[in-house]
Amino acid sequence: MSDELSMWERPLNRRGFVAGASAAALAAAGLGRLGATDALAATEQGGTLFYYNWAQYVNPKTYAEFTKATGIKVKKGFYDSNETLAAKLRGGARGYDLVCPTGYMTKELISEKRLLPLDWSKLPNVKRNADPKFLRTGDDPKGTYSVVKDWGTTGFMYRTDKIKERPTTWREFVALTKKYSKTSLVDSSPEVVGSIATMLGYSYNTEKQKELDAVRKVLLELKPHIVLLHSSNYDTAIARGQAWMGLGWNGDGLALAARLKGKARYVVAKEGGEIWIDYYNIPVGAANTDAAHAWINFVYSPRIAGLETSYTYYGSPLKRSLLRGTAAGALLKDPVVFPAPATVKKLETNQVSAAGKRLRERIWTEFKAS
Amino acid sequence: MAPPEDGPKEHRRGLTRAGAGGPRYPAWLVLPAVSWYVLFFLVPLGFIVATSFGTVVGFSDIAYTWSLDNYRYLWDDVVGELHIYRDIFLATFKLSIVGTLSTLAIGFPLAYYIARYAKHKTLLLLLVIVPFWTSFLIRAYAWLIVLDPEFPLFRALGMSELVERQGILFSEKAIFIGVTYNYLPLMVLPLYAALERMDWSLVEAAQDLGDSPLRAFRRVTLPLALPGILAGSLLVFIPLTGEYIIPVILGGNKTFYAGSLIAQQFLESGDWPLGSAIAMVVIGALTIALLIYARALGKQEQYG
Amino acid sequence: MNARRGLGAYSLLVYVFLYAPILVVVAFAFNGGREVLFWEGFSTRWFEVALRTPEITEALRRSVLIALGNALVACVLGTMLALALPRMRPWLRTPIDALAYMTLVTPEIVFAIAALVFFVQAGDAIGLDNALGWHTILIAHVVFNASVVALVVRARFVSMGQSLEEASFDLGAGALSTFRQVTFPRLAPAIFAGGLLAFTFSFDDFVTSFFVTGPTSETLPIYIWGQLRFGVTPAINATAAMMLGLTLVGVVVAYLVLRRSEQGRERGGLPGV
Repeated sequence: MSDELSMWERPLNRRGFVAGASAAALAAAGLGRLGATDALAATEQGGTLFYYNWAQYVNPKTYAEFTKATGIKVKKGFYDSNETLAAKLRGGARGYDLVCPTGYMTKELISEKRLLPLDWSKLPNVKRNADPKFLRTGDDPKGTYSVVKDWGTTGFMYRTDKIKERPTTWREFVALTKKYSKTSLVDSSPEVVGSIATMLGYSYNTEKQKELDAVRKVLLELKPHIVLLHSSNYDTAIARGQAWMGLGWNGDGLALAARLKGKARYVVAKEGGEIWIDYYNIPVGAANTDAAHAWINFVYSPRIAGLETSYTYYGSPLKRSLLRGTAAGALLKDPVVFPAPATVKKLETNQVSAAGKRLRERIWTEFKAS
Repeated sequence: MAPPEDGPKEHRRGLTRAGAGGPRYPAWLVLPAVSWYVLFFLVPLGFIVATSFGTVVGFSDIAYTWSLDNYRYLWDDVVGELHIYRDIFLATFKLSIVGTLSTLAIGFPLAYYIARYAKHKTLLLLLVIVPFWTSFLIRAYAWLIVLDPEFPLFRALGMSELVERQGILFSEKAIFIGVTYNYLPLMVLPLYAALERMDWSLVEAAQDLGDSPLRAFRRVTLPLALPGILAGSLLVFIPLTGEYIIPVILGGNKTFYAGSLIAQQFLESGDWPLGSAIAMVVIGALTIALLIYARALGKQEQYG
Repeated sequence: MNARRGLGAYSLLVYVFLYAPILVVVAFAFNGGREVLFWEGFSTRWFEVALRTPEITEALRRSVLIALGNALVACVLGTMLALALPRMRPWLRTPIDALAYMTLVTPEIVFAIAALVFFVQAGDAIGLDNALGWHTILIAHVVFNASVVALVVRARFVSMGQSLEEASFDLGAGALSTFRQVTFPRLAPAIFAGGLLAFTFSFDDFVTSFFVTGPTSETLPIYIWGQLRFGVTPAINATAAMMLGLTLVGVVVAYLVLRRSEQGRERGGLPGV
């Protein structure tokens, strides 16, 4: 019976907990007529799109609007981590038209030739509306295989009612972990190893043995003070008070604060950390690539993009100005959803090489088993 | 769990007479199952065997290099300060033993009651397994709620403090509770199947003839229940050697087992060759252990 | 009598242990809020949500059908194996034993991925467009469950002694009629127990199902695990509560009906069943 969770799981916020936003979404949906014509660019196509995705990562309204605009029905399937998705594709499973892995996994899948190149002539909305910096990311510099779905940060969150200190750095995070022994970590080596590396002044992606040894030492000292290692339970554990502090993702942090009525805070550490990007990819073996293109193009119309952001609470890759007046309008000023440029500058995307990944996995195994 | 030196007379005679020579069910009856195994298990497993001699190229492409590196890695045994066999396999063994013994201890009296005394046997048996038609995940998360010191019942009873001090949640204790819970039907059903055919008048006769209940149990019930105990123990022990989800959810994922190590290679590190090699070692060791075990039993119980 | 009462009370406690966590789930299924931790008022809306989510209802139906099919095939294969195996010559029996044990000791994730690769390649070899679906789940589940059934049935078959079977064969009865008239009635409880286990394993299986299924054939556990990052959603709690309710009602009704029809017939049908 197996596998679960050991894996890397992407952050998602639990949209249902964030109450005020739904009202904003409703109001804005009425206002945001801007993109309506773009949405129809995909024209009538029919057929079925098999969309393989993280759970609750698409606004339910978007499905309905998409089917209405294009005639394409959407069949949904869900996976719970990048690694399970990858294992499935590596095993040769096919028939999945559209998947949404995180950047590092997109890069791995590209290197293993498991993705189909995109036909950019079918993506006019993306070309027109995307913030240019999201058209050239490190994971796929020419955008041959991927289009950005959304993005966010990796930092930490803590209960302001349980912890009197107001930590803003990884160093304080580690010190408070040792003080209270009430910390959770996500079950994923890139984030944990990378974050500790930035604390020590190294690159988030360091692969130098010496630096990794230093990270390992910190981690092994930390282990006895960890309450749980989990990528999806951790925020619930914090909400219940089983843990007081946790390394995690911005969407979870925002949702946690909402669940606890403000008694929690999400912090992007001063030393830096990760900025992650999720992509739309079309895997080899897709049955309906036209439908996949139609979806990508459709969600890049500003109104729909606004709907999506208002639901997932993750950063949108569209030009910021296009989102004004959409359902996401109210979120544009939220620093957790859209961190300030100065903050973003300190962050790195996960760019660990295959060899580096192996070194880090060894440390991670030792950490987990110690 | 050692087989008895001396079974009841009737039992023994039946088996002895069933020597290898007498008429029997034809051997070809094994063919459907064996073909199924060969085609859908052995052939796929060949892929794992081949992979275990492979090497990862890039992130997780596999080159079939026929190298022994993965086995050497296992032979070397250490990751940093961690010893795979001493630390991980030993923890796995402990988990499997604890799980087997606790399900046996809890399950045997239940199966005994259903088989001997209950009026609605089938119904009670079904009721043992119905909770397991809800979903593993839901049950595990239910225990997360129940073991929480803040669980409303504990709060109502003023026990939150006490439970908190016990520190059950996200500890080894929680893992043992979860394992006992989830594997209990695997023990109860085979036990019931074995006990159900018991001729209880034998037990009563033994007692009438002056055996103490305990002695009657040991001399009459236990030998007849033994095949059920063994089947149940195998059904619990074996899957437990690969268990890793209960430790993740209830144990806070802080203890590593053989199953965790293998799953990590396949699902986290993307190192299928190493995962395959570890799996081959586990499969090989356990299969041989089981064959020896069954052979020893076969002699005792005259299986063949 | 005292032993009986004591054991009865003890058994009741075990049932409490088995059902208490599930009852918590059922209670939370009636929780009005989105939050699965805190009570936010009574509501049945999550039942409506669950019933109106086609991913849930379709997956549930598929899971039941696969589990039933699996239990059936596993019972047939496993019982046949259990009948023939104990009396085979060791040089033939040992490898088959080893094979059956191997299906049980192989970590599930390992078998799941091996089976995925196998089905894809085999599908390509025979020119299938997409080999994966409910049928590959069924095939893969039977591998493990046939061994489970064989283990349970064999335990009873061996300990039963086979003088009756020998007598039947001596009197000239064939394998089939011997099985029908002599062996089956005595083995039924074990086959039933094995079948129940097989059904349960299949119905609750995530890992194997996840890897060997195709895009349009998700089972309920796959759906539930996909929702994992949110803990258990209230709609899933509601689904579990409905499943529990339905199976409890179904089990009790089926039991009463069977019992009545059995009493109608002559006594001495299936022992214990």
